[in-house]
Amino acid sequence: MNFLTPGTIALAGALTIPPLVALYFLKLKRQKYAISSTLLWKKAIEDLHVNSPFQRLRTSLLLLLQLLVLALAALALGHPMMAIERDREKSLILIIDQSASMAVAEENQLTRLDLAKREAKRVVDSMDENSRAMVIAFCDRATVPSSYDNDKDALKRKIDSIEQTDSTSMLSEAINLAEAYSQNIIIGTSSGNDVAPEASASATVMLFTDGRVADANDVSPQRLDLTNMEIVRIGSRSDNVGIITMDALRNYERPEMLQVFATARNFSDKPVTIDATLYFDGEHMDVQTVELAPGMIPAADDDSTPSDDDNAGVPLPGSVASIAFDEIEFASAGVAEIRLNTQDALRADDKAFAIIPPSRRVNLLLVVDDNRKLVDLLSILNIDLTIMSPDEYENAPDDVLADGSRSRFDVVMFDNHSTDRLPTGNYFFWGGAPIIDGVAETGLVRDEVFIDWDDTHPILRHTDVSAIEIFDHWKRINLPPEAIILIEGSSEHSNVLSLLSRDGSQFLICAFGLLATDDQGESVLNTAWMLHWSFPLFTVDTIDFLASTLSAKALSSLRPGQPQMVPIPPNTDTVIVLRPDGKQDRLPTAGAQKITYARTRRVGIYTISPGVEGGDRIAVNLLDVNESRVNPKTTFEIGSSPIATTTGENLVDEPLWPWLVLGLLVICLIEWIVYNRRVFV
Amino acid sequence: MNNDTALLEPDFLNKLNRLELVSKKVFAGKLRGERRSKRRGESVEFADYRNYTVGDDLRFLDWNIYARLDRLFLKLFLEEEDLMVSIIFDTSKSMDYGQPHKGIYARQVAAAIAYIGLVNQDRVSLYPFADGIVDEMKGLRGKRTTPRMLDFVSRCDYRPASDLTTACKQYAIRHPQRGIVIVISDFFDKGGFEAGLRFLLGRDLDIYVIHVLSPQETEPTVTGDLQLADIEDEDVAEVTISRALINRYKHNLEAYCAHVRDYCTRRGIAHLFTTTDVPFDQLILNYLRRRGLVR
Repeated sequence: MNFLTPGTIALAGALTIPPLVALYFLKLKRQKYAISSTLLWKKAIEDLHVNSPFQRLRTSLLLLLQLLVLALAALALGHPMMAIERDREKSLILIIDQSASMAVAEENQLTRLDLAKREAKRVVDSMDENSRAMVIAFCDRATVPSSYDNDKDALKRKIDSIEQTDSTSMLSEAINLAEAYSQNIIIGTSSGNDVAPEASASATVMLFTDGRVADANDVSPQRLDLTNMEIVRIGSRSDNVGIITMDALRNYERPEMLQVFATARNFSDKPVTIDATLYFDGEHMDVQTVELAPGMIPAADDDSTPSDDDNAGVPLPGSVASIAFDEIEFASAGVAEIRLNTQDALRADDKAFAIIPPSRRVNLLLVVDDNRKLVDLLSILNIDLTIMSPDEYENAPDDVLADGSRSRFDVVMFDNHSTDRLPTGNYFFWGGAPIIDGVAETGLVRDEVFIDWDDTHPILRHTDVSAIEIFDHWKRINLPPEAIILIEGSSEHSNVLSLLSRDGSQFLICAFGLLATDDQGESVLNTAWMLHWSFPLFTVDTIDFLASTLSAKALSSLRPGQPQMVPIPPNTDTVIVLRPDGKQDRLPTAGAQKITYARTRRVGIYTISPGVEGGDRIAVNLLDVNESRVNPKTTFEIGSSPIATTTGENLVDEPLWPWLVLGLLVICLIEWIVYNRRVFV
Repeated sequence: MNNDTALLEPDFLNKLNRLELVSKKVFAGKLRGERRSKRRGESVEFADYRNYTVGDDLRFLDWNIYARLDRLFLKLFLEEEDLMVSIIFDTSKSMDYGQPHKGIYARQVAAAIAYIGLVNQDRVSLYPFADGIVDEMKGLRGKRTTPRMLDFVSRCDYRPASDLTTACKQYAIRHPQRGIVIVISDFFDKGGFEAGLRFLLGRDLDIYVIHVLSPQETEPTVTGDLQLADIEDEDVAEVTISRALINRYKHNLEAYCAHVRDYCTRRGIAHLFTTTDVPFDQLILNYLRRRGLVR
């Protein structure tokens, strides 16, 4: 039994019980009554004391009853809740969260996942003979450890087999799976009994989670009735500080100098001061102390949970701090790690990794016919520039352009030239497009304006797109759906600036050329943007972005669970991936040049051997605000309907106050009877 | 209490005129009275013969015996003498209680018995007692002394303590004559009543005990949380009246009365229990007659 407002009990008890006892003593100032002799009365009192062991109790029976009434009233004010075992439905779907935030260690060093498993096993134990349950585990994807089964031992074994991951929580896939399996059990079960569709549709869904589910609002079940959904809230801790972003950048002028950035955020309701330590390849480099204000408004009282900034989405002032390690000399390749020295709830977000490639100048090939301004601009950048004409490019031998299947240049920039000669690499087309599947030039666009652009993208972050004015035209280019449109015109397929990734190559396609040809065949400016201050910044950002995987910046890290294309050396049969937890995965290559590795469920560095230089390590970082905010949610929204969470095992909390009030009335009745019996002797 | 008529009504006194006190024993008195005495005397009631000795009154020689036997015998006659009647009645505070009033009731009984004695030329003495004998009126004789007797009985005050033992002891020391002793009390004596009666028994008296209680004592009607105060000694008993307590009290009272009765019966003391709701004249004319104190 627990109480929603335990403080009220103490308050009500303190306010009422002492006055009652005092009043009782005052009431015992007995009325004086003269009698001829106390001789026989005293003897009678003594006799009663001797004969009745409960005489003392009986004389104060009214006081006891009144105290009992007050105690019951005080308890009723405390909103007592009793966990009552409820009969389980015929079909149960147990959905267990295995995301990163479930790794929080709660009481007795049990993680939330351990607690969730324990609760789920209790539910299994409480099932009757005719019930069956299925188990779904979910993080960023859902798995089905056990389909519908009524073997309790097997179910519990399957529940135990669920492993902790550092991935994010995405519930929709789990709900889809639950629906799919609910439909399947119409056919038959292991016991040979068919289950009617109606019964399967009314299966009870029990979700064991801390409530930190990223897509809870997007879940839209078709057949399952989620109004009966029971959400068992796991965990109580909220003290967590985590790294939410991390990046490493080489100095543009002095590539051997490295800058490492991170952002730490406090998610607890108390201010914290922590040390952030920088390591390169496990070697200690630098320490910074970070002070963080509370990230949560503290709880109003012991009972309520602290309110967080879920709705606002904006961190509280001072709860986020940047950590910047400047001017670190580190020319070689390696792994940078920032580690927060804290004993908080979640460990996975206390460290973040960045793969640092060796310092090297960007090797850029400019394929240009006649664009003096562009050549001049690129010439003054700190890059190794190679210039070819379109004809030279098309006629160049393969080994000039490519090393095996991969381009020899970090970035290849085409000015008003479209080509299909595209070994794996990074390409930037001005007024042209790659000749590949799904990309086609279908005409020209004139007299149109830009209606939308994404100025948060790294390429456009320093560019004033509204200042770009196209004098003549741009090309209408059809793109496959996976292309990211960075600048969009007003008509259909008017994709002004697009980014397309395919087969390890990146194509940045700008639909307008910098120069156009006028009526007399003269080259004229197609845009005055070349003369604008933002053009060189755009150029640098673009080269930076396209070449980032090779030179100036750290290789982008993965989120837990994301797959990675891993390049492997030729003639390799088997690749061994060493995981952060020390285990190894042996992967047959089947002669391929690349394999996809997807077992990136835990945070850390994955080492591939044998690997290709620059691609033999994968950094997996949590960097997820939703998972780092470990404070369990008390209310939970599926779709748009809020569902209250319960903390209690497989039990249902029933309010006890009506029973207490009933007991109180009964005692009042008894008291009335006792009082009357006593007065009318 | 100065109103004589409050004690005894004239009509009732007339009824008492026909009564006389009866003693189960025959005692020697001081004055020639209307009762047989152990002494041989000059009454008409023959008692015995004895041999003539020189100096005897020749008037009492039985000449018929002398004629037949030729010997001188003297006829002896029973002497009629007066009877000593002592009434010891309780005037302690505990008697100042009850409705009808216990103290008045006791005085009425005392006065009525005394009147009967006076009417029959008995020597009547009255001894009110509380923590001892507090006053006395001795040797009243004859109907003429009735007003004095009534006045004495009426004006006795109630005194705090009750000590029957001391009162009886004092009585036994001061009064060696034998006779009838009537003790009227509620016997609520925390020192016990047995020792007191034992002093009287030692004097070979004809003892009558009249045990008087009020209806409030035999059937208490009190309720609630009370502080019961003893009106004699201010002793206090704190009680919460319950049915069990009332039952226990009644049981104890019954046992106590039975103990008084048993004690008296075993020692030849005539015992009469009464409550003040029994009409006083009925007590005298019926119950006392039935008990043999009057006829």
